[in-house]
Amino acid sequence: MTRRWAAFAALLFPLASMAAAVVHDYPPAGASDSRLTIYGNTDIALFEPVLRDFQREYPGIAVRYEELDARPLYERHVREAAAGEARADVLLSTAMDLQVKLVNDGYAMTHVSENSRALPAWARWRDEAFGFTFEPAVMVFNRQAMQGHPLPQSRGQLLDLLRVRPKLWRGRVGTYDISRSSVGYLLASQDVRQSSEMGALVETFADVGVHVGENSAALLDRLESGELAIGYNLLGSYARSRIDAGAPLVIVYPQDHTLVVTRTVVLPKGAPNAQNAHRFLEYLLSLRGQEVLALRSGLPALRHEFNGRYDRLGIDDMHVGLLRPIALGPGLLVYLDAQKRSRLLSAWRAILAPPPH
Amino acid sequence: MALLLLAGSLLLYLAARVYALTAADRSYDRVLAGSALSIAETLSVSGRDVQVDLPYAALDMLSSAPEDRVFYRVFGPGERTVTGYADLPGPREDARLLAAADSGTSHFFDATYRGELVRFAMLGRKINEVDASGWVWVQVGQTRRAREALASELVLGSVLPITVVGLFALLLVWTGIRRALRPLVRVGEDISHRAPADLHPVAAPVPAEILPLVDGINSFMQRLSGNIDTLRTFIADAAHQMRTPLAALRAQAQIALDEDPAQQRSSLRAIDRNAARLSRLLDQLLSDATVIHRADLRRFEPFDLVVTVRKAMAEAVPRADGGSAQFDTPLATAPMSGDEVMLREAVKNLIDNALRHGRTKVCDLAVGLYSDDAGYRIEVADRGPGIAEPDRERVFERFVRGDSLAPGAGLGLAIVRQVVSSHRGAIRLRDRDGGGLVVELVLPADRP
Repeated sequence: MTRRWAAFAALLFPLASMAAAVVHDYPPAGASDSRLTIYGNTDIALFEPVLRDFQREYPGIAVRYEELDARPLYERHVREAAAGEARADVLLSTAMDLQVKLVNDGYAMTHVSENSRALPAWARWRDEAFGFTFEPAVMVFNRQAMQGHPLPQSRGQLLDLLRVRPKLWRGRVGTYDISRSSVGYLLASQDVRQSSEMGALVETFADVGVHVGENSAALLDRLESGELAIGYNLLGSYARSRIDAGAPLVIVYPQDHTLVVTRTVVLPKGAPNAQNAHRFLEYLLSLRGQEVLALRSGLPALRHEFNGRYDRLGIDDMHVGLLRPIALGPGLLVYLDAQKRSRLLSAWRAILAPPPH
Repeated sequence: MALLLLAGSLLLYLAARVYALTAADRSYDRVLAGSALSIAETLSVSGRDVQVDLPYAALDMLSSAPEDRVFYRVFGPGERTVTGYADLPGPREDARLLAAADSGTSHFFDATYRGELVRFAMLGRKINEVDASGWVWVQVGQTRRAREALASELVLGSVLPITVVGLFALLLVWTGIRRALRPLVRVGEDISHRAPADLHPVAAPVPAEILPLVDGINSFMQRLSGNIDTLRTFIADAAHQMRTPLAALRAQAQIALDEDPAQQRSSLRAIDRNAARLSRLLDQLLSDATVIHRADLRRFEPFDLVVTVRKAMAEAVPRADGGSAQFDTPLATAPMSGDEVMLREAVKNLIDNALRHGRTKVCDLAVGLYSDDAGYRIEVADRGPGIAEPDRERVFERFVRGDSLAPGAGLGLAIVRQVVSSHRGAIRLRDRDGGGLVVELVLPADRP
């Protein structure tokens, strides 16, 4: 019965089921049948050092990392759980709202430890959802492309810059496609909530023919090549690793307010290797795990023990304005509401639709 | 007492818990209702479709209960879900729901959803458009974790201080009792550390509250000491009294040994007389001891005084004198409560005395039993020489004889007085009309 339902669900969500996960296997040092399966939307290139270090601590665990986008990740787990065939031990996503929905709908396991209690209150909900990174959403500029122009330090200044000579910036501004990128949707919905200039900004984006990308990597590629001059609402961590690799990019933390996203872990109920799942989460929240994240993955640590080391992690304290961490909690469910979401998306599409010829 | 305290605490806890849950529900229900209202405010109708623009605050305000899951559903008209969780459980009481909706307020209820008890607020809005009319419902729910936490906090906040104060009071009472009873312990130690013969009053200072007890102990010891003294005197007296007849016996026996057979007979007679006197003395000592012992026991039982006096006469008056002793009473029965054996002994003693001392020319012995307001009066009258006024007190003392010539140990009247006083009665001597002595016993009736 459940199997047939799963097949039916697969028919119902063809896109989701076809969104192929890229599977990365990390076999254990010796022979062992202890496993850990992680569904995550973090770029494996960034995340691999973390997995390797985890295996150094637990050499007997075979780790499988399945990389897929945030929404397919959510849908896949819900489908598998409904079929009674949960395969994931750890769900790891930047889409905080979707992770909160998993917890709210009762898919999550409780995890309580000294490390989890050390998290700031906004990065933990019900002892079931845990943030483990501190990632500001920033404006990224190509240094050469911006030659001769002042670097906007806030949304207002960005608006002014674009409005003065819209033709100059035509096709040179990029941001997430919020209909396809979950983190993009999360950031946009929080912008709508928190910023009065968001409406004007989106309209101006439409005027300059904004380029929308599905993920950070594609947008950063175009920024690096100079095809795009301005990137809005990108995750600073990804941009930072490009800069460290020599890309001619500049990061600006909007002075009016800077949203902060945290990568969020949920341990699903019915995880096949629950014990290893708890171990992995504990590792991520531990000081050792946080240090590896910060230094080798370029994902800024969340634990307050790392305060004051922002400069090394990509944020210069002097240039950070108002940091607004997005809090894990039921408020995030609002923009997942079907009507709310379709209203926001249709407004987005209406604004960005190319004007009829 | 501990059980009572436990029951009281339990009752207090339950009452506090009911109160706390109500209070917690009331405060969080307000937020829940506010959330439902803020959603309902955004309801609009376009064509056949109900539209709702979920405000961010609607769910965010519920994070005043930071750890609680949140569910919502907008549906209607009918069962058509507009948005939210389509499978939320509905209320059981539709009537109350409609009543609340009519007055524009939220209806609250608890229901289990996704494995957890959820508190729901449900708010209705009536729409009346061309293509859509009827009730549209906004249902917002929240798990009960924060409510339980608040309730527990309230219970703890109210029960804990009371418990602490209660325990403190208990401690105070305990130490108070210990302090108050310490003088008693001192008195106990004083008494238990004494030499057996030490019957001095307790001298340790005590608070006024236990003074009666110590006074009781002291007066008891005083009486005990008096009794022991009496006993010592009695033994000394008895030994002394017995020594004289014994010495006389020996002397007479020795004289008899040296006499010729003709005179021996009169000596033997003297020996017999003395032996009889000694025997009577022993009888009386024994009787005295019995009376003292029984007086201490105070084993009182109901009996008929008429029968007792008759028996006493039958036992004390020799057959030969039977005719000369008269018993006169107007009573058929005289029920009373007392020690029958002792009283019979007393009456026998009186009759004995009367026969012994009161026999002159005629034996005119009269025994009477009468009843009046004070109780019973027993009179024993003889025609003897009587007792002179100044001697009347002395004759009640031990080993004092009214007439030193007459045989007797001088215990008879002492025994009688002992019996009478143990029955709280009185004894009186008076002269008999026409010569002789009347001994009067007045006994409270003490009717059973």
